[in-house]
Amino acid sequence: MSQPIEVTLRALAVLVAFLVLPLLVGQTEHKVMAHMQGRLGPMYAGGFHGWAQLVADGVKFVQKEDITPAAADRWVFRVAPAVALVPYLVALAAIPLSPHLVAAAAPGSAVFVLAVTAVGILGTLMAGWASANKYSLLGAMRAAAQLLSYELPMVLAVASVCLAAGSLSLTGIAGAWSPWWLLWQLPGAVVFLVSAVAELQRPPFDMPVADSEIVFGAYTEYTGLRFAFFLLSEYAGIVVMSLLFAVLYLGGWHGAFSDVLGWLWTLLKGFAVAVLVIWLRVAWPRLREDQLQRLAWLVLVPLALGQLALTGLWVVTTA
Amino acid sequence: MTALDVAFAAAGVVASASGLLAVTTRHVVHAALWLVVCLGSVAGCYLVLGAEFVALVQLLVYVGAVVVLVLFALMLTRAPIGPNPDISTSPLHRVLAAFLAAGVTTLVAAALLPLAGPARRRAGTATGDLASALFGTWVWPFEILSVLLLLALVAALAVSRMADRQGPDAAQTLAESAGDPVGKPLAEMAGRPTAQSAGELPAQPAGERA
Amino acid sequence: MTQASRPSSRGAVPGILKGLATTAKTLVRPTHTAEYPDVPPHLPPRSRGVIALLEENCTSCMLCARECPDWCIYIDSHKETIPAAAPGGRERQRNVLDRFAIDFSLCMYCGICIEVCPFDALHWSPEFEYSELDIRDLLHEKGRLGQWMPTVPPPPALDERSADPAEIAATTRPARGASKLVTGERATAGARAERARPTRSVGDDSPSGAAGATPGEAAAAEAQARPTPPPEGEDQK
Ligand code: SF4
Ligand code: SF4
Repeated sequence: MSQPIEVTLRALAVLVAFLVLPLLVGQTEHKVMAHMQGRLGPMYAGGFHGWAQLVADGVKFVQKEDITPAAADRWVFRVAPAVALVPYLVALAAIPLSPHLVAAAAPGSAVFVLAVTAVGILGTLMAGWASANKYSLLGAMRAAAQLLSYELPMVLAVASVCLAAGSLSLTGIAGAWSPWWLLWQLPGAVVFLVSAVAELQRPPFDMPVADSEIVFGAYTEYTGLRFAFFLLSEYAGIVVMSLLFAVLYLGGWHGAFSDVLGWLWTLLKGFAVAVLVIWLRVAWPRLREDQLQRLAWLVLVPLALGQLALTGLWVVTTA
Repeated sequence: MTALDVAFAAAGVVASASGLLAVTTRHVVHAALWLVVCLGSVAGCYLVLGAEFVALVQLLVYVGAVVVLVLFALMLTRAPIGPNPDISTSPLHRVLAAFLAAGVTTLVAAALLPLAGPARRRAGTATGDLASALFGTWVWPFEILSVLLLLALVAALAVSRMADRQGPDAAQTLAESAGDPVGKPLAEMAGRPTAQSAGELPAQPAGERA
Repeated sequence: MTQASRPSSRGAVPGILKGLATTAKTLVRPTHTAEYPDVPPHLPPRSRGVIALLEENCTSCMLCARECPDWCIYIDSHKETIPAAAPGGRERQRNVLDRFAIDFSLCMYCGICIEVCPFDALHWSPEFEYSELDIRDLLHEKGRLGQWMPTVPPPPALDERSADPAEIAATTRPARGASKLVTGERATAGARAERARPTRSVGDDSPSGAAGATPGEAAAAEAQARPTPPPEGEDQK
């Protein structure tokens, strides 16, 4: 009878992580971005260096009016934020922090995470179409085009790692990791990181929400809590992708005292990747739509295929 | 009746209900969204039956890519909000369709029901077994299928090249075509696979170089 | 150096790395943020924060109100009759300021009113923290405008060896038509100079020299209001 309790506890832990980690990344973004631009960032909320800024933002979002445009497709419009948010929640559950610390161990968790995050696109598409706003529609189409193009190199890059480890589960992959992978899987890692940033629609791949062109893309018509959900899904996406990168390419819990502090290593590595993602946002300008497609199809896909061939060759020759 | 049976039944009910809604709704985009639900619950069925990998690929390919592509094409062309009276059929069609559906259902049921014997142990399919079956026993159908897809890609490329020979480059960006007012839906829909194949064809040699 | 290296840089990669390097460098440098409410901003003394009114100097001449592009200065005044000081003397009139208000919700801080005031009754003060919850409270009446006066910084010192200010120069220059020198004319010029710079005593033989010896602008204004000056005019007669 302890199984239901355990399941509940695990679900709760994932929920807590899902609510805390994105806020942590968001606050880091506030601060890192501010200092990279010679500013201080939030300083007041909560007292010490504005640590509670995002909590205050959340409270503000709750208070705002929830508006559904008159011409909108009511149900699709309302459900879209959930469709965007839930996949990341589910994906987070499958990412292991250490060999034993994983909310939902699945044999094919690498494919699982990819499959589930791919569903998140639907939320953006639904939001863009249902808003009855031309900017939203444009944003949704840009998002769809971008996400479809970057899905392929990402899957190929992950396939290469799975091939190298001989396993489809994240625990197995990180277990088979060795420092030599840092060099061997480097092209794949670069491809994965670039396509992850593109999947998250983060600058420099923020064409779908380019505020100077199409207001806020698919999220233009959203207010209050639903808008906050979209923002949360973006930051949850950063968390998921960063942790995934840490587990796939940086060895997850490998490090000193990995028996005890393995989970900390994973979190730290993931956090470093998240900071990198933030850094890219500050440093680089936005890619144009054609440059975006060009990068995906002419650079990333060949690179990922090359990595896959290399990995395959190595695995076959050494096996 | 185990919990798995219940889960399977639930997924099946959701799948058939959403499938019905997908073909009966008058909202084009709603139909596509119901299709998402339908395909998702079919993935759930696979999962319950122990074919985890198939379920995940179903999710990744069908929900994450194919339906997104369908939605994308719908939005690029004309997908008004609200019911679309154009997608309606005459009563005669409906009666015929009902007969056809009933016939297919009886056929399938007649073929499958005798097979349903006593409850069997669900053997979880290992991904390795799946792979060896796919690339061992079934390798020829698999390869022929991929040739077929390749042919389709090349054909789509050819069609779109012919369609806008005087127009801009076939590798025209999607955003630009999105910015196009209503546009030529067929060319646009053909334009999407073109962008893929245009990228993919030179990709092969480049990949080997890397 | 960047000019020279640009043509040699191949492709986008060097630029991409440069962007990362720049942001990383900025990250470790101190920030430029001024933490305003905690740390008061360093404003130059002649910042245009708010307009202060020195009520004693104002003669209700309405020049400022008329020149204000927004018409946001409101002035009410009435004339008051001052009985003759000496028996048989003439009664005199002067303006009494009843209301002077500036609506800062309309003011665009052009400074024209301050420029045109001939009597130095309006001054810029660098104070700027007078926002209100109700826009109507931005209408500062003369009491409030007067309260800004202590925050007006002293005028900047003249450069060394600069020419005398125009008011002083006017007194030392020989008057026009100096051959037919009229004492009364010189006397009024002297009084004006005293008002502008009351501390510097200008040697003069007019009877108003005694009044000018009292220092301070307020005193000078008072002197103007007191029935003492009339002798000037009577002298002229
Ligand atoms: S500063 Fe300009 S706008 Fe403001 S009261 Fe003076 S003249 Fe009017
Ligand atoms: S402030 Fe100056 S310009 Fe305005 S009425 Fe008074 S004296 Fe005249």
